[in-house]
Amino acid sequence: MKAVCTAILITGSLWAQSAGTPGYDINYIGPRMADPILQHSKEMYVLYGCSYCHGLYLESRGEATDLMHSRLVGRDENANLIGPLLRAGIPQTAKLSPMPQFSDLSDQQISAIATWIHYARQQGRYKELIEGRDVSSGNAAEGKAYFEKNCTSCHTSPADLKREDGTLRTRILRPKFLDAAESWQVDRLRDTKTAAARHRHLALLENYSADDVANLIAYLSVK
Amino acid sequence: MTALTRRDFGKYALGGLTASVLAQPAATVNRSMINGVQFGLQPFCYHDLPMTRENRPTLVKRLVQNGFGMVELHATWCEPRFDAPGVSAEVAREKLRNWRVTTPAAYYRSIKKEFDDAGVTIFTYWVGINESYTDAEIDATYQAAKALGAKGAVGSQGLAVSQRLVPFTAKHGIFTGLHNHDNLSDPDALSNEASFDKGLAYSPNFKATLDVRHFTAGNGDCIGFLERHHQRVSSVHLGDRRKNNGRSAPFGEGDAPIIEILRLIRDNRWPIIALLEFEHGTLRTGVEEVQLMFDYCKRALA
Repeated sequence: MKAVCTAILITGSLWAQSAGTPGYDINYIGPRMADPILQHSKEMYVLYGCSYCHGLYLESRGEATDLMHSRLVGRDENANLIGPLLRAGIPQTAKLSPMPQFSDLSDQQISAIATWIHYARQQGRYKELIEGRDVSSGNAAEGKAYFEKNCTSCHTSPADLKREDGTLRTRILRPKFLDAAESWQVDRLRDTKTAAARHRHLALLENYSADDVANLIAYLSVK
Repeated sequence: MTALTRRDFGKYALGGLTASVLAQPAATVNRSMINGVQFGLQPFCYHDLPMTRENRPTLVKRLVQNGFGMVELHATWCEPRFDAPGVSAEVAREKLRNWRVTTPAAYYRSIKKEFDDAGVTIFTYWVGINESYTDAEIDATYQAAKALGAKGAVGSQGLAVSQRLVPFTAKHGIFTGLHNHDNLSDPDALSNEASFDKGLAYSPNFKATLDVRHFTAGNGDCIGFLERHHQRVSSVHLGDRRKNNGRSAPFGEGDAPIIEILRLIRDNRWPIIALLEFEHGTLRTGVEEVQLMFDYCKRALA
């Protein structure tokens, strides 16, 4: 009986200590996310120590690369750049400590880490751009050039995008369909059009500058 | 009897976690003296606890909770932060410099008392002295270390900055700890045995703070280094990494000879402090992970 009581006490204390879940530091990692794939990605990012140098939400710290604004991360697609870099590590430089190599991680683990980096970057960049500078001083001509270079493969005409209701910034940065849950129904798996649109918009979100957004708004606003 | 592999060793340590976390150790200075090896903690290990002076009371509680009677205290646990939105890096740096040179020793003595009262000895003061430090600032930093009761001031400064520290360490009568990373390409960096040879030659008051994780990642021979230099080693930063600039790993899953190092210290009765420090990732709380790693070390000495 004494042993049972002790076990209960021990279990109870551990639960209290780790805010409800033994072995899961909710105060550091945060509540479990609704999307299990994202949650897994986040955990891999923490488990392999990435967050200690690069920040759980890509907060810039010390001499580690600022992943929120890294051009390499912005160009990465499905870990095609992040993966090889993680596997090889970054060699020493005269003034910076090297990044360790993670050559023993599986493709799935590398993919999960990259998934979290992109997700955190998208959230962070959205926040930066939404809370950033005044966007009323954009250059419509430059916005037109940006649109024609980056958007016309899907949006053949800017006319249907033009707005005058002040929601343009949100619509450019985060079209509503991005927030819809991804479906794993077999008949939707081949919906390549939506998948491509999602991929494209998220990639743009990771790489827009404040000027790009202001210029697009100037171009798409109905005066 | 079947020999335990290091991985098995870690599993057994995991099994011992629950009871150890909850054990309330007696409040004695040497509560973390384990079979002849004095352990301490580099509380950087508490990755979930920002290293600020506001969090210092929590740090003290955690040290006691994990059963440590010794600590290497990073300066950020004592110093205020002046960086803030709208404050340039230069302005923040100048404010910190002014704060350092004007803060009286009594401030640090009061911090020492916080740790003393909890039965935790401040072994060393971790400072990030670099080229931007003025002589007055370096002097104030050593005074602070002394007021904290630290035996030494430790940092990852390179060889050039280390040379500047020679008169200060002599003046204040505490040692200067040279801490290595694994940057083998920078001739100024502490990294391999040759770089330690150079740095230790600058002053008899200089000691090696051998980081076995980084030394291993730089393909160094920790055991050989300790054999040859143990008289000049004040402490080891004990953790695990893989060779060839490999990643950090939980104890027993990398290439650092942790068990061998601890037994070397124990069996030769070297007064080298084993300071746990690691940066492998974990989903557990800092307290849980520190306890797991500490238990691993205790088993090494059982």
